[in-house]
Amino acid sequence: MSDGDGTTNAGMAGGGSRPEAAPIVRVRSLSKVYRQGDIDVTALNSVSVDIQPGEFVVLMGPSGSGKSTLLHIVAGIDRPTSGEVEVQGINVGNLDESDLAEWRNQYVGFVFQSFNLIPVLTAAENVELPLLLTRLGRSQRRAQVRAALELVGLGDRMHHRPDQLSGGQQQRVAIARALVTDPVLVVADEPTGNLDAKSASDVLGILSSLARDAGKTVIMVTHDPKAAAFGTRSLHLEKGEIVS
Amino acid sequence: MTPWTFILKNALRNPRRSLLTVSSVAVSAALLTSMMTLQRELTVPPESEGASLRIIARNKVSLVQPLPARQLPEIERIPGVVAVTPFTYFGGQYNDEEFTSFAQFAVEPRRFRSLLVEGRVSDGDYDAWEKDRTSCMVGRDTMKRYELKVGDRMRFRGTFYPCDLDLKIAAVFEGTVDDRGVFFHHKLLDELTGDLGTVGTWYLRVESAEKVPEVISRIDGQFANTAAEVRAESERAFQMGFVGMLGNVSALIRTVNGVIVFTLALVSASTMSMAVRERFREMAVLKALGYKRRDLLGFILAEGFGLSVLGGALGIGGAWAAWTLLDIQKLTGGIFIVFEVTPRIMASAGLVAAVLGVVSSLAPAISVGRMSVVSGLKTLD
Repeated sequence: MSDGDGTTNAGMAGGGSRPEAAPIVRVRSLSKVYRQGDIDVTALNSVSVDIQPGEFVVLMGPSGSGKSTLLHIVAGIDRPTSGEVEVQGINVGNLDESDLAEWRNQYVGFVFQSFNLIPVLTAAENVELPLLLTRLGRSQRRAQVRAALELVGLGDRMHHRPDQLSGGQQQRVAIARALVTDPVLVVADEPTGNLDAKSASDVLGILSSLARDAGKTVIMVTHDPKAAAFGTRSLHLEKGEIVS
Repeated sequence: MTPWTFILKNALRNPRRSLLTVSSVAVSAALLTSMMTLQRELTVPPESEGASLRIIARNKVSLVQPLPARQLPEIERIPGVVAVTPFTYFGGQYNDEEFTSFAQFAVEPRRFRSLLVEGRVSDGDYDAWEKDRTSCMVGRDTMKRYELKVGDRMRFRGTFYPCDLDLKIAAVFEGTVDDRGVFFHHKLLDELTGDLGTVGTWYLRVESAEKVPEVISRIDGQFANTAAEVRAESERAFQMGFVGMLGNVSALIRTVNGVIVFTLALVSASTMSMAVRERFREMAVLKALGYKRRDLLGFILAEGFGLSVLGGALGIGGAWAAWTLLDIQKLTGGIFIVFEVTPRIMASAGLVAAVLGVVSSLAPAISVGRMSVVSGLKTLD
């Protein structure tokens, strides 16, 4: 699945009939080496990949293959040892920590395996958290929060705290939080890992429709082949390299 | 929701811990306020309006050494002296009390009248006291404390002089900074002791505050190289001489204050560290959502500061209310008179609480600032 310069081409994964567009995510020769005591551990080894707008890319592979590391670097919460990541033309590696934080707020929505909602806040307040960093007024924030929660089917659970919601509902709140700033990129790290089959299916359906209907680019890490089936393309990693 | 709502909800997420933290800070702040008030009470004697015009002249050798009564006319002649009276501490034990918290002084009532600048006493009663050699004038606080009335008798067993006193209350004074004392005729003391020629100290009033240094110098010079050399000093300096004897007590109070502040710091720091440690993962999530180091620092500082200031306000307010509403004289058997929690003391204690709130939040805030999002997300709940 790689072209001549080692780049995994999104167009090929999309079936070959899709017109080529500028990739929204452009990864070049990305490497990440961790130091564990006296040993260097290579998590990513010169990975290159392009991801087109509206793709739902699934990263798969065994534990330690580097899929989460790739996701974290693309999402701007980890730094590469070498290589480049561009998202919508912005070289993420060139941003300092403060700019990177702003960039994440505007460009990336996060969905985690364990939901990571703030337990003392209601669903609406959790979803509103990223909007507090914007210049939106209170009424605009409320409107966006409501829209996001209605999109994930939780318009009637706005004032429930996380402990009053099921796992699936909590993950849907997390998706609403990821969407509320209208980011171009949604990253999900094993979003169904803590969910039952029905809830997992609901969550994957929402992520899938985000890519298909809303034009969001979704990158998801998963071990589950059933979950991977919801994606438009799967990238398999092993020992820090994309193998297929 | 606003950032303040978020901070408030975080501060109250564990109500029991927040309550205990606020209570700990409140108790410490109340204790600190009380100790500072105690230190002030011991080291800063109440200052009256007329104190700046008054001088006490004592024997240069020691306060317990008497002075010859014959010095009186010489002192009176010194320019600037308006009035002078013998002023002798009796040190009696009232009604066989183990500890008598009010002093008794032998004075010359006629001369003493113009020295009692701030005191209010009816002319009729003062005249009655002046006329009756076996009567006394008593402070309002003492009258109240022992439920006495004019005409009652007060008996004192001499512990310093080899005689006892049996005095009829003729007058009551009030309005001075210490309305506890008992004043009686020096002539009575002279008769009872059989010593007509000595006094404890001289108590003077000078016509103006500017004249005080000159009068002090003249008095000291007047009796230099005599058998009874005199050391004159302002009333304030005389009081501070007693305070100087409490030097170690004052140091002890300062040490206790230091311990309180240190304990307060430990309580606050421990609480904030625990509060932040248990939501490290949430902090990482906030970072992922776009919150910057300074935002998280602000959240943590505001929370620590808020809890500390709330506790401080409760403690300081509580101490102020307690020491204002309680009858401190009655409570301490008359040992403390004013025990005033001044605005300065409240501000100092409040500042300590506020600074500690910030300082205790710094370490957890810095560790959150340094934390990477990835490592924070790996933190176990």
